[in-house]
Amino acid sequence: MKNYLLTKTASVFSSKNFLTVLIFIFLPFVAMAQAASDVVQPPKEFDPSGWNWVSICYIVLAVLILLIIARVFDIGSLTEKVTGRKVINWDKANGWIAILFLIGSIAGVWYEMIYHGKHVMIGNSYSEHGETIDSMFNWTFGFTFVVFAITEALLFYFMFRYSYRENKKALYYFHNNKLELVWTVVPAIVLTFLVLRGFNTWSRITAERPKNSQEIEVFAYQFGWKARYAGADNKFGAHHFTFISGKNPLGLAVDGNVDSLVAELQADIKGIDAKIASAPDSAKSWEKQFAAFNVGSNAAAYPAVYKDLKTKMQEGNSGAYVERLKKDKRRKNTTLNRVLTYRKDNGIFNNAANDDKVTTEIVLVKGKSYTFNFRARDVIHSAWFPDFRGQMNVVPGMATWFSFVPTKTTAQARIEKNNPEFEFYLYCNKICGAAHYNMKIKMTVVESEAEYNTWLAAQPAVVAPPAPATAPGDDKKEQGKDSGSAPQKMAMITKTR
Amino acid sequence: MSTAASHAHDHDHHHHKESFISKYVFSMDHKMISKQFLITGIVMGIVGLVMSLLFRMQLAWPDEKFGLLEMLLGKWAQDGKLDPNFYMGLVTIHGTIMVFYVLTAGLSGTFSNLLIPLQVGARDMASPFMNMLSYWFFFMSSVVLLISVGVETGPASAGWTVYPPLSAMEKAMPGSGLGMTLWLIAIILFIVSALLGGINYISTVLNMRTKGMSMNRMPLTIWAFFFTAVLGLLSFPVLLGAGLFLIFDRSFGTSFYLSDIYLEGVGAMENIGGSPVLYQHLFWFLGHPEVYIILMPALGITSEVISTNARKPIFGYTAMVISLMGISFLSFIVWGHHMFITGMNPFLGSVFMILTLIIAVPSAVKVFNYLTTLWKGNLRFTPAMLFSIGLVSFFISGGLTGIYLGNAALDIQLHDSYFVVAHFHLVMGSSAIFGMFAGIYHWFPRMYGRMLNNTLGYFHFWITFITAYLVFFPMHFMGLAGVPRRYYMFTLVKEFDIWMDVNKMMTMAAIVGGAAQLLFLWNFFYSIFKGKKSEQNPWQSNTLEWSAPVKHLHGNWPGAIPEVYRGPYEYSHPDREEDFYPQYIPDESDKAETGGEGSKSAPKRKSTKKEEEVVENVMFSAIKRVFGWS
Amino acid sequence: MNKINKNGENYRIAPMRFNLVLMMIASSMLFAGLVSAYIVHKPDALAKNTWTQFDLPVQFFISTILVLLSSVAMYMALRAAKQDELKQNSLFLAATLGLGILFCVCQILGWRDLIDRGLPFVNARSEDISASYVWAITFVHALHAFGGLVLVSVALGKSMRYQIHKKELTLMKVAHTYWHFVGLLWIYLYLFLYFAG
Repeated sequence: MKNYLLTKTASVFSSKNFLTVLIFIFLPFVAMAQAASDVVQPPKEFDPSGWNWVSICYIVLAVLILLIIARVFDIGSLTEKVTGRKVINWDKANGWIAILFLIGSIAGVWYEMIYHGKHVMIGNSYSEHGETIDSMFNWTFGFTFVVFAITEALLFYFMFRYSYRENKKALYYFHNNKLELVWTVVPAIVLTFLVLRGFNTWSRITAERPKNSQEIEVFAYQFGWKARYAGADNKFGAHHFTFISGKNPLGLAVDGNVDSLVAELQADIKGIDAKIASAPDSAKSWEKQFAAFNVGSNAAAYPAVYKDLKTKMQEGNSGAYVERLKKDKRRKNTTLNRVLTYRKDNGIFNNAANDDKVTTEIVLVKGKSYTFNFRARDVIHSAWFPDFRGQMNVVPGMATWFSFVPTKTTAQARIEKNNPEFEFYLYCNKICGAAHYNMKIKMTVVESEAEYNTWLAAQPAVVAPPAPATAPGDDKKEQGKDSGSAPQKMAMITKTR
Repeated sequence: MSTAASHAHDHDHHHHKESFISKYVFSMDHKMISKQFLITGIVMGIVGLVMSLLFRMQLAWPDEKFGLLEMLLGKWAQDGKLDPNFYMGLVTIHGTIMVFYVLTAGLSGTFSNLLIPLQVGARDMASPFMNMLSYWFFFMSSVVLLISVGVETGPASAGWTVYPPLSAMEKAMPGSGLGMTLWLIAIILFIVSALLGGINYISTVLNMRTKGMSMNRMPLTIWAFFFTAVLGLLSFPVLLGAGLFLIFDRSFGTSFYLSDIYLEGVGAMENIGGSPVLYQHLFWFLGHPEVYIILMPALGITSEVISTNARKPIFGYTAMVISLMGISFLSFIVWGHHMFITGMNPFLGSVFMILTLIIAVPSAVKVFNYLTTLWKGNLRFTPAMLFSIGLVSFFISGGLTGIYLGNAALDIQLHDSYFVVAHFHLVMGSSAIFGMFAGIYHWFPRMYGRMLNNTLGYFHFWITFITAYLVFFPMHFMGLAGVPRRYYMFTLVKEFDIWMDVNKMMTMAAIVGGAAQLLFLWNFFYSIFKGKKSEQNPWQSNTLEWSAPVKHLHGNWPGAIPEVYRGPYEYSHPDREEDFYPQYIPDESDKAETGGEGSKSAPKRKSTKKEEEVVENVMFSAIKRVFGWS
Repeated sequence: MNKINKNGENYRIAPMRFNLVLMMIASSMLFAGLVSAYIVHKPDALAKNTWTQFDLPVQFFISTILVLLSSVAMYMALRAAKQDELKQNSLFLAATLGLGILFCVCQILGWRDLIDRGLPFVNARSEDISASYVWAITFVHALHAFGGLVLVSVALGKSMRYQIHKKELTLMKVAHTYWHFVGLLWIYLYLFLYFAG
């Protein structure tokens, strides 16, 4: 038997076109599934209103029924003891169920392939590197599917074939070096192949940043995305997280915005100082408020108000309130100092950011190379644009990038998918908070540069183009341009004093 | 002999006057501790399962209002709709409970405790006191975790990996407040428990085996528990380090993990210079071995159960041990495959990819060996056997998708998609839980002296098996179609509408599968009290634990500890009438020595035994020399 | 090879000491984690200019010498116990304990020195992650040292009651091994922080 196995396996593996054989084994499955997908109707929607807690009670009932059935079987086994005849041979029964399960699961997967297979993204990549990923996937699928089919089939077949018989003795067989060597070496060879191919694909996609690639900054925050295009001067303005304010959500080095932020921070700090100074008074007044409120059944009637007043009073009395204010002040002071430090560094404030365009949609031109530079404002996000086979984490304090070339336009995709409303999206794919599930940005691929230019022109710049009258910060602007001889594009500015 | 027997009686100083507390609560007996681990694990498992059903219902019927939900969860399900923050909390706590509390403590804790002393022939663990501490740390940890679910701001909800900055800043999301602090405390208590337990397991296996129980005669369960403990010992301290840094960042204001953050509603944070990716490195240095900490005990149990019920020696014992060893070793150097797309150096990514895919080789060896063990066996389908075969099936299905995910290029597309959810729920979730069920069905007679009801076991198995596949298999398709994981609902994205009915089907399957666990619970608790009395060796098994009396004794064996004469898997030996040949029965005089036709194994085993002893001598003398022991 | 203990069990090495060795391995992994975090973080932070390089406090150097001395004392204590010289054993154990306490005091003085130099645990400035690391690593080590002190005190207590002698060495050996471990760990950490910082 073992020789037989060995020669069999050897003959399969020695054939040169082994891979072709593998492909041919699984191709018919896919082809038939795809062919059938046009014929088979999707099943009817499940009606959610018919599915409620009552149904769950039914399930519990079903469990009880099963318990009773089990009891009945046990009584059956009693009669078995008395009569000496087996009512039910569980060993055989389980073998049969195994075979049925095998057939059923093949049918299930088949159905799923037909019904949903067309939505599986493999084979319809919309980017250049995506095709290499898809082909990598297909190779991996080829090998693993064969192994999967053979091993699972054998497993359930063995269950059926070798179920317990009383007078049989199992084969005393505990060792075969050759056989074990075969199934160590063969997977190793296959994996070497997959590793080499994977290594190539991966390096080509990620190792080198393409040179002539248009850069777009993709900015993530709780919970949304923004894209930034360089604007007319083709230069990105510098940014720093301390510059972020309501007016300046991306923290760009824009004179006006940063100046108003400084004023804002200074006012805030003054306000906090005032609060700290009047803290004892506030504590007293909270105590009074609480005492006034805490009469009769108020506490029970308005628990939220009661709790609010109580915590306020407690924090006021224990000094936690002042502590918090002081901490807040320290934080604001640090931010203010940092902003002022960078503000002095004219190299950053070179007005490069003024004509940058911050958009709520990413528009790309087909066939052009793009590099996304990712930046996160608060927590880790992950930019996943599955149609383009692209994904990269967006980490606060760490610059990441991803390059790709879109190959088809949105319009083409709509025709291919037979869905006039289809859009490409970039999703958030790293847990980031409550609205994680709704954090996405539309990506549109257009046919021509002209379309893109019209779109970009319609987008507002960060700072509206200067009015005819000269702006007050004009001379500073000149200075900035001189000293900022080599401001690095997209650099994270963390230089210190 | 007689002195040994009399000593056995005063083995435990609580022995003579055992109060309820010292027997059932602060017990130092490994069998009682294993039961404590099991029951706690089951309770935690129910909590985790119910949580998963709640969020599955949210995914299936996002617009539906469930009045009962509001009754259950109060403000977290106003009008019967689950709150997104609490959804994240459920996902996180479900992951934490299942990974750490059920499949690490509940599985490895239960069966390591029960089987290590019984199968290697020891009176108890190396340090029964540490063993007790291990359980009570685990218990405290469970309590703290359960309390964290009920706190005002909600449980920790940054995913079970709790990546900072999300988990490090109180204002980043409600769950990062008190809930997160309690989560960290619970995990630190858990680490202490795991270390105390692991130290004991290793020390017992290496140091306290009975006469004749050389390393190559140890059952594969013991090997698996041993490697599991080694993995835990080496990786949990690193998680402790990661957790300490996270606590420092959260509560003291250091910036190990934080840098350049502006938080809505707070403003720019002070922290500069930290590295969020550093946490991921430290976490996954535990996180990946943790996967094998979960899986390997299940594989060990499966080896034992399959061999026993196939009435056949396990095929390729040595290969099984070597592959366990290989998996353990490799698991320490592949953590980076969880981080391919964090923006780490692409070359580093390639290295991790290569190392990761190598793991497929020992895993493949294990699968083929299981199959060959079944081949030409005489398979008795006890529920334990069915669960073991189910494990092998899940291990194949889920393991093969690991080859996709370990490939950095494919991971670009598949990372954090439903494909990943399918992968790990099959290969480590379902596999390990099936291993645990196999263990429970197989050793229930050993734990409680009674039998579980087989018929209920069959129902339990087939319903669970089928529904598990129904829940997790379609997730592959979803992942491949670009559905991200950890989404509260899919209705806000039009592209995902096509998956609504699959989501419903999966949820219904999950509810049915969950209900099937009621069968198990009924069976388990009913049989503890009313089950059929067990025989001495109900499965006609070879290993040492079945030689101990059915009624539990301190010190396990009333007389001397039995000696071991052969390997654990001598089933269907051609020389013997019976189809099993227990380890503790002396050779039938000269028959085996002179070498009958069928006893091919005997001389072979002997030579390896000598080699083994030489190796051991060298190893121990080296250790002794290093530490200067006499 | 095997010994039979009083419970009729087979064992090779006293379980307590075996467990101790395993615990030491676990502790080493904890420090390996912290130290490798330091190694990985440093170049990253240096590139971002958020890493101050500073000299370790001189107190840490003194504590290194103290720990060496206490290790010698511990060794002498074990030798005395092996030769059944119980008085000497107590004496040397007391010396170990004293030097150990001095070591802890030195660590505290070192931390105060760090605070005085504006390098507290929590970074007041953005450049002090290096200081946070030094604090975290030395603090976790100090916890280990504290555990060691407890162990040595227990041994000392037993020794005073003549419960440590030639035939009852287990606790003594455990304390001996652990104390050397804490000492070696400190020397390693000191050298690491000295050269890597």
